[in-house]
Amino acid sequence: MKKYDAIVVGSGHAGVEASLALARLGNKTLLTTLNLDSISFLACNPSIGGTAKGQLVSEIDALGGEMGKAADRNILQLRMLNTGKGVAVHSLRAQVDKHAYHADIKNVLEKQENLDIIQCEVVEILVENNKVLGVKTAFGETIFAKTVVICTGVYLESRIIIGEYTKDQGPNGFVNSHGLSKSLEKLGFEILRFKTGTPARVHNLSIDYSKFECQKGDEGIQTFSFLTKKQPKNVAVCYLGYTNEKTHEIIRKNLSRAPMYSGFIKGVGPRYCPSIEDKVVRFADKTRHQIFLEPEDKDGNEIYVQGFSSSMPYDVQEEMYKSVQGFENVKILRNAYAIEYDCISSLALLPTLESKKVENLFFAGQINGTSGYEEAAAQGIIAGINASNKLNKKEPLILRRDQAYIGVLIDDLVTKGTNEPYRMMTSRAEYRLLLRQDNADIRLTQIGRNVGLVDNYRYKVFQKKLKDIEKVKQEIETKLDVKIVKNLLIEKNEGYSSLPLTAKELLKRNNINIFDIKEKFGLFENINNNVLSYVETEIKYEGYLKRQEILISQMKKNEEIKLDKDFDYNNVKGLRIEARQKLNNFKPLTLGQASRISGVSPADISVLTVYITLLNKINKKG
Amino acid sequence: MIDDTIVAISTPSGKSGIGVVRMSGKNSLNFATKMFCPLNKNIEIKPNLMVLGNIDLGSTTDLGFMVYFKAPKSYTGEDIVEFQCHGGLVVTQKIIEKALSLGVRLAEPGEFSKRAFINGKMSLDQAEGVIDTINAETESELKASSSLQKGKLTKVVNELQNDLTDIMSEIEVNLDYPEHDIEYKTKENIKQEILEINKKIKHLLKTEKQGKLIKNGVDIAIVGKTNVGKSSLLNAILGQEQAIVTEIEGTTRDVVVGSIEYNGLKFNFLDTAGIRKTDDKVENIGIKKAKQVLKDSDIVLLVLDGSKELDLQDKENLDMTKNKKRIIILNKCDLPSIVNLNEEYVKVSAKKNIFIDELKEKIYNLALDGCNTNESLILTNARHIEILNSAILMVEKILTSIIDLPLDCVALDIREFYEKLGEITGETTNEKVIDKIFSKFCLGK
Repeated sequence: MKKYDAIVVGSGHAGVEASLALARLGNKTLLTTLNLDSISFLACNPSIGGTAKGQLVSEIDALGGEMGKAADRNILQLRMLNTGKGVAVHSLRAQVDKHAYHADIKNVLEKQENLDIIQCEVVEILVENNKVLGVKTAFGETIFAKTVVICTGVYLESRIIIGEYTKDQGPNGFVNSHGLSKSLEKLGFEILRFKTGTPARVHNLSIDYSKFECQKGDEGIQTFSFLTKKQPKNVAVCYLGYTNEKTHEIIRKNLSRAPMYSGFIKGVGPRYCPSIEDKVVRFADKTRHQIFLEPEDKDGNEIYVQGFSSSMPYDVQEEMYKSVQGFENVKILRNAYAIEYDCISSLALLPTLESKKVENLFFAGQINGTSGYEEAAAQGIIAGINASNKLNKKEPLILRRDQAYIGVLIDDLVTKGTNEPYRMMTSRAEYRLLLRQDNADIRLTQIGRNVGLVDNYRYKVFQKKLKDIEKVKQEIETKLDVKIVKNLLIEKNEGYSSLPLTAKELLKRNNINIFDIKEKFGLFENINNNVLSYVETEIKYEGYLKRQEILISQMKKNEEIKLDKDFDYNNVKGLRIEARQKLNNFKPLTLGQASRISGVSPADISVLTVYITLLNKINKKG
Repeated sequence: MIDDTIVAISTPSGKSGIGVVRMSGKNSLNFATKMFCPLNKNIEIKPNLMVLGNIDLGSTTDLGFMVYFKAPKSYTGEDIVEFQCHGGLVVTQKIIEKALSLGVRLAEPGEFSKRAFINGKMSLDQAEGVIDTINAETESELKASSSLQKGKLTKVVNELQNDLTDIMSEIEVNLDYPEHDIEYKTKENIKQEILEINKKIKHLLKTEKQGKLIKNGVDIAIVGKTNVGKSSLLNAILGQEQAIVTEIEGTTRDVVVGSIEYNGLKFNFLDTAGIRKTDDKVENIGIKKAKQVLKDSDIVLLVLDGSKELDLQDKENLDMTKNKKRIIILNKCDLPSIVNLNEEYVKVSAKKNIFIDELKEKIYNLALDGCNTNESLILTNARHIEILNSAILMVEKILTSIIDLPLDCVALDIREFYEKLGEITGETTNEKVIDKIFSKFCLGK
């Protein structure tokens, strides 16, 4: 009889982070996968990061996760998006070699102590007295575990759709999972049906690149992982092109054959990731849509055509693709398809990602209704940490909305839920100025250290950075040579009626950056550029950061007031009926969470505050 | 645990001799001293000591008391400052406005009791009472602005928020989808649109004055020299014996107030001590007060005795009130009239109750002069006014940040502006902006 501390079901980006966290924290862990070849498979874009997603990857890295390091190791091209719009929204995006990425992580898993991997299909979750016991596999084997983390991605009862053709299978021709969804439904989980899609892959040698605009990577920028020392080389380029009226005409002509419009697809698709037919219908006045050509790997010839996802029949796809300038002779290697799959309502989860109904059963990734590799991995590491903390009777890790995008993501999922695949966006984060790509380590490394995932090496690197920051902060207070200051101001078109005396004052000027100061005054010896940029941001954004911090300190108070999950809100006289019902259904963990539930008013929160104070006082007395 | 400072009027609304405004919180003494000037400059403010001085009301001052209660020996268990001022809504409201302008926050319903309870100033069995207070005050605040007006205001502010959502979605799509071929709005476009919204808020705030009329009533001062029949006139209007009427000069020494409702509008009549020169010390205080009442009133009824020649005092009164909205009344029209005036006037007889209803109609029309009560939206709620005033300050901030700062900062300023308006409508940003982004722009891979 096999027995583990933890079983992680599914080896996508969530399952990988969850199983690594569990194993690294010393728990005997089993990772099950439908197919070893699908470990960390980048089933859609061969790219990691992007707005808000780049931040997520760096946060995972700071906590001691794998995604950032693995991405850095397999980069084809690295770019910093949004430069010029403010540091808060600077976001890293990388094209990665999808095959190398898969092989790399598979290798990491295989070498990980405390971790077993097995290819098998889990079809049932075994539960006794609302506590998880283990899982049952399609082979008929029962495997016991104290805790189970479900990370099944888009594989539950999934089917792919290409025009009139449909087949029960997972992405990329992998087998799907049949039965587990029913088991979850029986346990009382609400099952939703979501949809997503992917464009065709085309042959590199069949493209006339002269019709496209080349896009190169950026040199000398930050990486995802704070441990990556060697700047990755840009070894590939992407291309930008457009659809045209002819393409749109072909789509309109064939709309009756589009499963999206014939009612054949029932799942809810994401608005931010529409298929080309969706774009043409909804934005009929646009005469062209962008497409990006992204290499799938370093040496291969498959090209991913971003912006051109579709569930049109194969013959229409061919016609559509060929209508694009530069695609006249294009050869489709794999067709675009839509995929429908089962997921659960994330409202069934606690902020630890443990389910409310079944103890020790955790969920992470697309099963929770999200979309994206980074969102999945972020949930994976948190589910893994919390599963481990529960096993080892430690405090759960719940990141607040002001601490990390991960906190925003999970809080949104468990308090608001989602009715379409959820994508992280910077605009979802109300404390965006604090949640930056460049300070993810400052925000989260200590937390990762306390959890136990940050090893000595990472911790040493982090402490050195803190020391360097202190050093720079002292140095910018020293008085500068007035003459040079004046010359610099003139050179940078800044007023000099009042002369800044220190580097700090000088930095407050819009047109002057810390590297100007480094150069002119010979300051900051042996300090790396990331540290300098960090200090610069802290100074230039000082006023705004302070404002956000005031809001946070107000918000935190309610976040710190804990609510008992067995609390019956019907007993609270003075709460409105609607609030009682909502709170009883929801059972928030903190007063802060309660305040974010729709239908709970500020007056309800006041009443609740008084009631809780009362209970605490009675308890103290008793 | 709770570190911001809150303020509220403690005395019940309506007419009363004195009013009390209370501030609670760590910084209340600091705030209070910024708006209070003791008469005795050398006096040291000590806990539990009543200090006489001038309370700053912005454009004017009110002579009153300030008392400081030091934490934890206070109602809430925090530092409390109480201002005891003249009664009625005008003075107390102005104290509140002054405090808000310094950065104090208007207390939420039941918040003083809530703080008292949390800080252990109440016994456990009082918890239910506190909860009742929170609910009762929430209720009464809802009622304070009529539901009709609230609905109208919510609608208008909702429209402003929709405009803002538009702007925000433009900025956010630029930040979240940097690589799409979308024509992003220029900063200049955004600035113009913000200015447009600002204009609308300013227009709303103009109605604040009218709102006060409707909520608190029209304050009408009755002015005239002694014995022209001011008190009789008041009684005739009120239809009851409100003021003391005697034949002895100078008996009405206090500002006696009577109110009537006429066509849905409240008239508050302020009877004044006869304005005349006198050596009587007590009466001199009355005269000073009368002049203040005159200044604060919305409308002046200048009463003249139509049966006697106008003397110097009458002419002085005519001159003193010429810049106010006023109605000149020739009283005693039951007697032969010998007064000739070049200005518009009405004739009444207070004693015989002649033309009193006509007078009321005239007052009503004059009060509503320039404000159309049926059509326009009128702000009556102090909280709403506070919110809109702070929103205006935020616009000023946006207008500078938009020129100098990167888009992520501008976005924050606009978001805070939106959320300020949301305190009226209850609308928060997130989902709306995201919905807008996806409905308006073609995005995705």
